[in-house]
Amino acid sequence: MNAGPYSDEKVQKFVEEEFIPLKSQCFWDKRTELMKKFDIIWTPTLLIHDSEGKEHYRFVGYVPIDDFLAHLKLGKGKVFFNHYRHVEAIAQFKAVIEQHPNAGVTPEAIFFLGVAEYRKTHDAKALRRAYDTLTSKYPQSEWARRAQPYSQIAL
Amino acid sequence: MGEIKWERDFNIAVDKAKKTGKPIYHDFWFDG
Repeated sequence: MNAGPYSDEKVQKFVEEEFIPLKSQCFWDKRTELMKKFDIIWTPTLLIHDSEGKEHYRFVGYVPIDDFLAHLKLGKGKVFFNHYRHVEAIAQFKAVIEQHPNAGVTPEAIFFLGVAEYRKTHDAKALRRAYDTLTSKYPQSEWARRAQPYSQIAL
Repeated sequence: MGEIKWERDFNIAVDKAKKTGKPIYHDFWFDG
């Protein structure tokens, strides 16, 4: 049951300490109510819900451990971000950036770090810093292109 | 660290999440 990413101690520790872990088995010949509720059309589909059960993040397919942990931290950050808990969201986005610099979702974490810092401080320079970081470190990422409008913000 | 202790019931997981303030990590899996 704890095969794949769940055999890794770092993943076990993070999931146990930071989340309520929930598994739901899928049946394609008779879709479950939860499969219908959350529009599950492929497995594995991994969701992160807030403490009310509302979905805030999903990814499909198991990925290498570093990417997996980055997804979990980004997803937790999105829960905080969507609840306007900016300090906690910023901490999660920074954890992705600092601890998983080579993960696929790291450019997204940089983008949302800029947005969360802007929403917290109302200082648009945070958006420009996100653009600068993305174009210098991840110039090929879609998130660098999404941040392009922030290039006009003066530092 | 042993195995992850998975909850199997969505409503119970939500109750636990409400009590702890933790988010839920939800794995939809297929045994095939």
